[in-house]
Amino acid sequence: MSHRLLLRQAPALRVDARLLSPATLQVLSADEVRRLKLPSGRDRIEVGEWFDVRPGDGDALHMAGDLSRFDAVGAGLADGVMEVHGPVGDAAGLGMSGGRLTIHGGARDLAGCAMRGGWLEVHGDIADLAASALPGDLDGMSGGTLVVRGRAGARLADRMRRGTVVLHGDAGDFAASRMVAGTLAIGGGCGAHAGWGMRRGSVVFAGAAPAVASTFADVASDADVFWQLLARDLARFGPPFSELKHRRVTRFAGDLAVQGKGELLVTR
Amino acid sequence: MRDIERTNGVEIDDTFAEAFTMKATRLVITARDIAWARHAAVSATGLATSVIACGCEAGIERELGEDETPDGRPGVAILLFAMSGKELVKQIERRVGQCVMTCPTTAVFAGLPQGAGEDVALGRNLRFFGDGWQISKVLQETRYWRVPVMDGEFVAQESTPVVKGVGGGNLLLLADDTDAALAGATAAVSAMRRGQGAIMPFPGGVVRSGSKVGSKYPGLIASTNDAFCPSLACLVPRSELGQGVRCVLEIVIDGLAEADVAKAMRAGIAAIVERGAQAGVRRISAGNYGGKLGPFHFHLRALAAPATAP
Repeated sequence: MSHRLLLRQAPALRVDARLLSPATLQVLSADEVRRLKLPSGRDRIEVGEWFDVRPGDGDALHMAGDLSRFDAVGAGLADGVMEVHGPVGDAAGLGMSGGRLTIHGGARDLAGCAMRGGWLEVHGDIADLAASALPGDLDGMSGGTLVVRGRAGARLADRMRRGTVVLHGDAGDFAASRMVAGTLAIGGGCGAHAGWGMRRGSVVFAGAAPAVASTFADVASDADVFWQLLARDLARFGPPFSELKHRRVTRFAGDLAVQGKGELLVTR
Repeated sequence: MRDIERTNGVEIDDTFAEAFTMKATRLVITARDIAWARHAAVSATGLATSVIACGCEAGIERELGEDETPDGRPGVAILLFAMSGKELVKQIERRVGQCVMTCPTTAVFAGLPQGAGEDVALGRNLRFFGDGWQISKVLQETRYWRVPVMDGEFVAQESTPVVKGVGGGNLLLLADDTDAALAGATAAVSAMRRGQGAIMPFPGGVVRSGSKVGSKYPGLIASTNDAFCPSLACLVPRSELGQGVRCVLEIVIDGLAEADVAKAMRAGIAAIVERGAQAGVRRISAGNYGGKLGPFHFHLRALAAPATAP
């Protein structure tokens, strides 16, 4: 059975919410969900302390309220659908490998961090280090799709290895820093040092052109076929990406300070 | 005594074409304009008339509009057939590497849907031509390779699905003379090419040196189809030709599925029948091995009957 978790009151301390997944909750009754204990500070506190648990409609797990003190919402999601109405804390969708998590609100740091698959969509803004690596890990996001309708903070897609990140708003500094591979598409403006230390991968600038670092080289030849494949793939994310296939693109190869097989694709 | 059935004066033999299972794939070649896509497709399907000595049978299936290709450029769909998956892999790599990658502005993609069959290398090995400068991109579970070449980059999808196809469908057109046979064969091939999923791999879709299995010479696996050679009609005891037949031409058909071959054969027979016996093709027959070798039997009279199924 599916459930709707409506936040009654915000917790005093931060809560690790990774246990609240569709797969875990669908085999539990409403009472069992209420008695489920989540780590909060040094304690483990029952869900019923904060949430009204109501029957859901459909298979999705719904959560609603100001969840900004709930971290790791949807972390480890492998299957199923989660719909969150309200802002969430850090590490939303951490290590997702499948399923679909939609957040109708903002998310703090590390959203989509170490993501391996699935679809994470954030309708608000996200803070720093989205789609990046866990501290100590060499690789960031390695699969799946992260869509952000708002703005992103610094170090978006840091160490990203595979998958697609689509940002409709502005990106902060060091977007795609140390990128290993994958695709980052930015619909708005971009802060300083885009692609710093990137080895491979593609960064598409559908909005304002970024300041391209001197360690990127303007590529003289056409890459029309690849651009058409990429632009047609990005079109599914709607404006401003839907019309990319009609635009010309300038390609900068880099970062030449490292492997130099990455590319900044600046549209015009 | 042969059972005779005539439609519009054209005699349809009570026989069948016997066809075999082959390994097949479809490739989509695109280019800056259709002329260069054609150049690549013609070249890639060259010397691919018969598996007897070419390694594979290949041909142009049809031309594709800009809205039908992955990169929005004009393209050509080609089909390749081989007797084994291993041989097909070799032929794909050789032909795409030498005839498509070399052709200006082209790109190559799998033409069958993902998961249609076992994936084999398309750009997976050709990428090494990039000498370390090649890069790849995965878009919605599909990997593409980008190989730097002198006009920019050559883009190739990593793999293409291989499916079980059907090879060896055939029609034998028995005519009054060479002109009538050529005109009939041309009309039939033209009608057959309007469909999808099948190719006629011989020059112009037509073969004049139809073969039988084996030879009096031990080293040969195939030799002339003496039963249908007009010059031997009065010499060989098993000649299939009656009085007045001075030229026989064959159309060989390979298809992605049994239905594709049947559809093409049906179109070919209909084109000949529509022209009528007065156009010079007086009889349609087909080659088989007694039904013991190939699992697919295309009965001419069934195909000549008005179609009741798509």
